[in-house]
Amino acid sequence: MSSYILKKSCTRSSLILSQNAALKFPLIAHLFSSLSQSQDANSTSAYNFLEKNTAGFPLFSHVRSKIPSGSRWKFVPSEFVRLFSSQAAVEPSTSDGLTVEGIINKQWPILGESESDWKSHASSIAQSVHLIKKRLQWKKLKVRLGILSAQLEKPDLWDDPVHAGKISREHGSLLGKMKEVNSIEQELLEHIDMIKLAREENDQELESESIKALLTMRKGVKEKELEALLAGEHDSSSCFIEVQAGAGGTESMDWAAMVIKMYEVWAQQRGYKVTVVDEMPGEMAGIKRATIKVDGQYAFGYAKAEVGVHRLVRISPFDSGKRRHTSFAAVAVIPILGDGSSRVQINESDLRIERMRAGGAGGQHVNTTESAVRITHIPTGISASCQNERSQHQNMASAMSVLQSRLDQLEMARQAQMNSRHTQSLTDISWGNQIRTFVLHPYRMVKDLRTNYEVSDPDSVLEGDLDGFILSFLSAHWIKRKTSCNLS
Amino acid sequence: MKLSLTRTSLSSILAPLLCNSHPSHRPISSLSVSHRPTSLTPETTPLFLRPPTSSASLSDLLKFRNWAETLSSSAGASFSAQDNGPDTHLLLRELTWLLEDALENPKTLAYCNPSAVSNDLLVSLRTDLEELYTLWKQRIDERRPFQYIVGCEHWRDLVLGVREGVLIPRPETEQVVELVSDAIKGNDELGDGLWADLGTGSGAIAIGIARILRDRGMVIATDLSPVAVEVASFNVQRYNLQDKVVIRQGSWFGPLKEAEGDLVGIVSNPPYIPTEHINGLQAEVKHEPRLALDGGTDGIGDLLYLCNGAVSMLKPGGFFAFETNGEKQCKFLLDYMETKVKGSFNDINIVSDFAGIQRFVTGFRTR
Ligand SMILES: C[S@@+](CC[C@H](N)C(=O)[O-])C[C@H]1O[C@@H](n2cnc3c(N)ncnc32)[C@H](O)[C@@H]1O
Repeated sequence: MSSYILKKSCTRSSLILSQNAALKFPLIAHLFSSLSQSQDANSTSAYNFLEKNTAGFPLFSHVRSKIPSGSRWKFVPSEFVRLFSSQAAVEPSTSDGLTVEGIINKQWPILGESESDWKSHASSIAQSVHLIKKRLQWKKLKVRLGILSAQLEKPDLWDDPVHAGKISREHGSLLGKMKEVNSIEQELLEHIDMIKLAREENDQELESESIKALLTMRKGVKEKELEALLAGEHDSSSCFIEVQAGAGGTESMDWAAMVIKMYEVWAQQRGYKVTVVDEMPGEMAGIKRATIKVDGQYAFGYAKAEVGVHRLVRISPFDSGKRRHTSFAAVAVIPILGDGSSRVQINESDLRIERMRAGGAGGQHVNTTESAVRITHIPTGISASCQNERSQHQNMASAMSVLQSRLDQLEMARQAQMNSRHTQSLTDISWGNQIRTFVLHPYRMVKDLRTNYEVSDPDSVLEGDLDGFILSFLSAHWIKRKTSCNLS
Repeated sequence: MKLSLTRTSLSSILAPLLCNSHPSHRPISSLSVSHRPTSLTPETTPLFLRPPTSSASLSDLLKFRNWAETLSSSAGASFSAQDNGPDTHLLLRELTWLLEDALENPKTLAYCNPSAVSNDLLVSLRTDLEELYTLWKQRIDERRPFQYIVGCEHWRDLVLGVREGVLIPRPETEQVVELVSDAIKGNDELGDGLWADLGTGSGAIAIGIARILRDRGMVIATDLSPVAVEVASFNVQRYNLQDKVVIRQGSWFGPLKEAEGDLVGIVSNPPYIPTEHINGLQAEVKHEPRLALDGGTDGIGDLLYLCNGAVSMLKPGGFFAFETNGEKQCKFLLDYMETKVKGSFNDINIVSDFAGIQRFVTGFRTR
């Protein structure tokens, strides 16, 4: 992915290897090293113990790209393959010979979804299909599928069951993708046939129904187009999103709170399950940092587009002088690996567990609802804390899962760095860089510094309307990744 | 075959315990509650389990939240200075939880934008708005424990109903279940047998143990307090464990005479605070029943009683875990077991709690 990231993760890993626990991994803190202010020494917060060392966020980089796994076929009978490939060989078309490529060539203008214009819908779908095919490397995919089919037909294939299993799984996966795309094309053309028929017969009901069906399809395919972008190894995972306030006291803590809220609402709107894992409130307002867990398919794939520093320019409501302030919030995104993936083994004896208790005798003497837990992995210095659950047991489980994910991420970064010397020359974003600016004054806009994607309505973005930013980043990022693949 | 033997002997012990067929064997103080249906009045049902019969406009609810936040901000600092009570952050978190429990759909509040709220959007509530004001006033003015306000305590992975008259289970006590879990690992005899939780209160430890025993052993829990017995029965039923946990009212071992010498495990968190410390307790704790806290002059009386009882009640090889007031009581108990009831127990251990305070004494009945 990025030479910058890789170089950074490389330094980071060597820190670990040297077992320099004292250096810990205050990556977010590191992010702010140039901006940060010193910790308020006489803070009376009850969370002092949590502040001692800011949790580290090792970087994560994708170096390998993988075709997203679609439907899996254990074994595909070769008759079927032949049957299917002969079908695929004939390019589908409408009754009057219009093909999907033909639609693209016509360059019908793509209007908003609310416009009930079938040509616009059809054009949008065709564009999406085109992009999906490009992302799947359609021509290569077909060649590869041919090779695999040939191998599957060899009579001695199953002499080596492991190899055979691999071949047949890959074949099944590729075939599944191909079938899916072909069926979209088929469906599109059928709807067009329907509309033409309806017009000939003057059947308005049928026409409007078919247009509606096209619209539904358009939305679904758009989503698929996005998913085709999410081909990274862990893109389909759930994730943690962590926001940390930069320098600037209450104003920037307020900003950090706005940012985490933005992600909560965004995730909520996407239908993900959101839980606040860890939240350290600021003294006056806002938060010093917070971690939320976003549960659901592709949460990481989307959210990773948000990694970096987010800048806010506005007249601070906390400044009685009504001056303009600039503040920063850093965002880290950590994938939660499924149990299937190789997860780092954590030794219980390597953990230091701290729990918040009012001092004193404890036990029957004390009534408290405080049950914060902080777990530190001593060899790496990485730690995680959770205080938002209502029992200690639950806080412990939550903190443990954050810690596990951070250690997994660290390990991934280490491995990525090991087998990626050749990507050193590539350029890409760095998660430590500023990625987005929100300006509320003197004018209003939100701009992504990587893609130049820009909107003039910050409120809608702060209310979770982030998909435009995410999509444009993922597309740009995808194209870059592709170019870099070709280079290497 | 060992397993089926265990099963037989277990059921023969449990038969009288479960059916109360030998009332004459039980001490007078022991009452059966197992066939008294636990009916809770609306006020004693945990808030989060009540039906959403009330409603309020979102703007009124936000007004309540603002009011409660202001109240908490001014009070928090003085509570923590006064007697290590809750600080402002904690009170605010409790407020969030109160609303979480009171709203039928808690997300309404979490994701609403106060400036863009339409005033008449109605929100379903499990109690009326007026009651919310009353409850939060009680929390601040009377220091009524938050867990009594919402009627529940989140403990381990459980949500236990609690109310005035029963002790709110402490986070330290979660570890008792962990100790039992460790003891059971690789020891089928313990995993398949009959356990006793003495002074069960809300039933926390008993339910925790029953859930790690799964479909194997059983638990019998006792308490002298009728309120505790009622609350524990409610919680046992809520977790659908009425076939695994038997609740008996009575003093310590009184209700389980039939099980003498047959228990594979005894756990207890008896009252252990020395009487002279009761007056200086944190304001919230003073709302809890004295019967659950006051351990007499040195606070160790009940622990010693339980320790003596364990000699005859435990099967050889049986396990015990007691929670204590700290280092002093732990050491005293350990010494007592090694000298006064010498030879009865082995592998006696002191275990510290998460704050590093020596809190538990564990061991085994000598074979
Ligand atoms: C510290 S509380 C523990 C409650 C519960 N086991 C827990 O850990 O949350 C002590 C319990 O012992 C009960 N108790 C006090 N004296 C008792 C006695 N003589 N026999 C049985 N239970 C008694 C109290 O009613 C109270 O529920």
